[in-house]
Amino acid sequence: MFLEQLINGVTLGSIYAIVALGYTLVFGVLDIINMAHGEIFMFGAFVGLLVVSKAGAPLPVAFLGAVVVTAAMGLLLERLALRPLRGRPGASHLASLISTIGVSILLENLAHKLFGAGNHLFETPFAEISFKVGPVTVYLVQVVILFISLLLMGGLALWLSRSRAGKALRATAENLETAGLLGVDTNRMITATVVIASAMGGVAGVLVGMAFNYINNQIGLSMGLKGLAIIIFGGMGSVYGAMAGGLILGLSETFVVAYGSSGYRDAIAFVAIILILLVRPQGLFGQAPAEARR
Amino acid sequence: MEWLNPYHLQVASFMLINAILGVSIYVTLSTGQLSLGNAGFMGIGAYTAALLSTQHQVPIPVGILAGSVLAGAAGILVGIPSLRLSGVYLAIATLGFGEVLRAVLINWESLTGGAVGIAAIPQMGRVVLAWAGDRGFSPGSLGLQSNQFISLTVFLILLLCTVLSVAFFLRLSRSRVGRAYAAIRLDESAAASAGIPVTYYKVLAFSQGALLSGLAGALFAHSTSFVSPADFTYHRAVEILVFAVFGGSEHILGPVFGAAFLTVVPEALRSISDYRYILYGLLLVLMMVFRPQGVIDPALLRRFRRSGGGVPA
Amino acid sequence: MKRYARLIAVVACALFAFVFMGAEKAGKAAKPKGEPIRAKIGVISIITGAGASYGEAITNGFKLALGEVNAKGDVHIDLKIEDSTGKAEQALSAAQKLINSEQVVAILGPTLSTEMKVVGPEANASGVPIMGTSNTAQGITQIGKFVFRNSMPETQAIPASIGKAVKKYNLKKVALLYGNDDVFTKSGFDTMKEVSEKLKLKILTIEEFQKGQADYKAQLTKIASLKPDAVFCSALYNEGGVILAQARKMGLKVPFVGGNGFNSPKVIEIAKGAAEGLIVATPWFGDRNDPKVKAFVAKYEKAYGKKPDQFAAQAYDAFHIMANALKAAGTADRAKLRDALAATKDFQGVLGKFSFDAERDVVMAPNVLIVKGGKFTIFN
Repeated sequence: MFLEQLINGVTLGSIYAIVALGYTLVFGVLDIINMAHGEIFMFGAFVGLLVVSKAGAPLPVAFLGAVVVTAAMGLLLERLALRPLRGRPGASHLASLISTIGVSILLENLAHKLFGAGNHLFETPFAEISFKVGPVTVYLVQVVILFISLLLMGGLALWLSRSRAGKALRATAENLETAGLLGVDTNRMITATVVIASAMGGVAGVLVGMAFNYINNQIGLSMGLKGLAIIIFGGMGSVYGAMAGGLILGLSETFVVAYGSSGYRDAIAFVAIILILLVRPQGLFGQAPAEARR
Repeated sequence: MEWLNPYHLQVASFMLINAILGVSIYVTLSTGQLSLGNAGFMGIGAYTAALLSTQHQVPIPVGILAGSVLAGAAGILVGIPSLRLSGVYLAIATLGFGEVLRAVLINWESLTGGAVGIAAIPQMGRVVLAWAGDRGFSPGSLGLQSNQFISLTVFLILLLCTVLSVAFFLRLSRSRVGRAYAAIRLDESAAASAGIPVTYYKVLAFSQGALLSGLAGALFAHSTSFVSPADFTYHRAVEILVFAVFGGSEHILGPVFGAAFLTVVPEALRSISDYRYILYGLLLVLMMVFRPQGVIDPALLRRFRRSGGGVPA
Repeated sequence: MKRYARLIAVVACALFAFVFMGAEKAGKAAKPKGEPIRAKIGVISIITGAGASYGEAITNGFKLALGEVNAKGDVHIDLKIEDSTGKAEQALSAAQKLINSEQVVAILGPTLSTEMKVVGPEANASGVPIMGTSNTAQGITQIGKFVFRNSMPETQAIPASIGKAVKKYNLKKVALLYGNDDVFTKSGFDTMKEVSEKLKLKILTIEEFQKGQADYKAQLTKIASLKPDAVFCSALYNEGGVILAQARKMGLKVPFVGGNGFNSPKVIEIAKGAAEGLIVATPWFGDRNDPKVKAFVAKYEKAYGKKPDQFAAQAYDAFHIMANALKAAGTADRAKLRDALAATKDFQGVLGKFSFDAERDVVMAPNVLIVKGGKFTIFN
């Protein structure tokens, strides 16, 4: 059972990691937690569902559709709910937080109106395919999810470190003002960050549909909270932290259930955060305490 | 008194409980600490009052007091380690505390009954009615029906508690303690070098906020007569935060207004129940975009005072 | 303090003004001969929020019955539906509105047992008969003499399903799986555990899950590794269908005995082939060879595009029970309606024969069903 649980944990963890990346990117650049991220992820899942079941298109198109829609949502979010608050007197971080909370409430109920309540089946054509590796049964779906996650994470890391745009984004995250002085179009960078983060949420949504086969309009909330726990654990603003944190959370949740008491599964995430905040507030990969304490 | 509608009294009662919660988050916020654990402290207050009154026949006021005090004590326990954190880290840690507490409430079945909750908690209004009935009093003598009397009693008790709480903290804000809070909020290190015992005041604010949340929780238990872990989720913690930020986080009347207003909005929109939360979300976004400091800010209050009172615009 | 005196006075006045905006006068006219009895009945249901799929089925059941009752002409009911969003506080506010502002003569609902525990005492104290159509926890009708329910509690259903399964499959060791954060699923589990212990089954493990969870692989893998003869699962159909599907996918092929929450065509819809062999005890058997049932199923499917589940059926019957009681009472009077309800005996609904017992709780015989060939059939 251990190996099977390990695979479960890694699959879950990689999805968590992608969701967390969305949070960490936005936090790194804007210093705010985008509470609407979970709902955007949920919409991505539904768009994927509609593409696959209503339009009957193949899975890659589902990813495309989800990415396009969630990227657009990210754009709207940034333009309408976040940008007007930047640089305004009296607008604390709290105002942006509440603004994104408003968006999340709106999106959750909008999804209910559009897609209906209850669970919806997300069919993957190759859901049944599995193969045995030694004593363990591995499903093709799990392999695909892991592969896509690694691709995405690797691609993002590479892009951030090698490409000009990626470096400009990191500069903006490091210090908004200085980046602006150095000629980076910070507004565009910020918009790009939110769009990319949202698109990643969209990918994660489709992956969740593939992994668990059922989606409903409530998945944004719980996933959102977990994503939050992960970036605290891994270090807010740190890409490697989000990846590592996601994996660790997925594994620990799975193993707590497997070997401990399944009643405390959700509490694990929060116990982890509280511990890490007390012991190492900047998270596993975060920056040194002086700067991390905002 | 046919115009006394228990429905309106009910909504007003929830407005008052939410107002106390709004003040509870404001108190810690006034020292610059954003605590999102108030749903957890509320749960402590509610369950303490519920357990004491249902299992140990403790009189309601004693139970409410015990619940508040216990919550306040928990506030000290949470406040001390939280000193090392600030900003959004503190917020999330306290949110985490609330969630862990909820998990405990669900899993510690022998004490709390788990997800089933605690029912048949003595309801303040009904208890008063019975007590008055034993002394030969009937609501009819006031021209009231039983349920009007019950709702009115609950409302008046809550009103008293809310007014006292707000008055206390209004007074506090102008005392030495309040000035210390404000100084800490503005610049912690400067306050420390000015000789203010920062640690003491920060933990004090934390426990005061927790105590208020506990009070609100105990009152909640004795108004709805049933509590379960589902009443104290992070949804509620976020809701309390929204009251404070929407209403205005710079002055104590802000969260009070925010709580009152945002409790009424979903009720008023019942006729379009399909869309009311879509509108609610939209309202939050619009308010933040157009007036991020919240509805009530010191400038508005100054204008109101200068104009010599009267009905605000 | 003086500076704020005026402001506080204004706010206090506003608060009082809001509170004292009056109630409408209660109109209790006697019914003139030949005219249908007119009554306002309130419904508290989950229209938005997490439990909306269940609330929707219930509300649909009410509406279908409403059409029939009003068309018949003995009574004319004006249905007022309020949303509780699944939160007890909202349910309470909705109840207060219905009782005092709308002056309803009775209330149907609320959906969740947690909501009923808050609303029931209030309705009881206000003298308004209230009937739960989906509350299955313990201690519901004991709240007071105005509180009724027509939803079969788990304490009646589960012993029937487990008992039959044990006999048929010769079960010796079992695993239990339930949602520990919901009153309904938790009560169901309590009963399952009690029955298992009474039947001297060996409980290999007890696993829990939380609402809204999408992934049960961890719990199911653990259960599978212990090799139970059967799994007893207390869940609502949204989680239940997913659990079944994931269980079968990972090779857990033993019989599943579900609580009340599994009795829904939605389970078969969600789990598809994985639902084969699922056993539930329930008062609702949608494929029964009974003209009343067939007519109801056809009508519901035509109106709402899907087959009715237990929630819808119970709501439908409940409405008819209410309408009948109203007719028996002769007038739209709360106290008289309560008495007429309590006297309901041998009502023939789509769920079979129904009566209230002395505590206004359900007297009904459960059917034990098994999913065969993608449909629920009687389990012999």
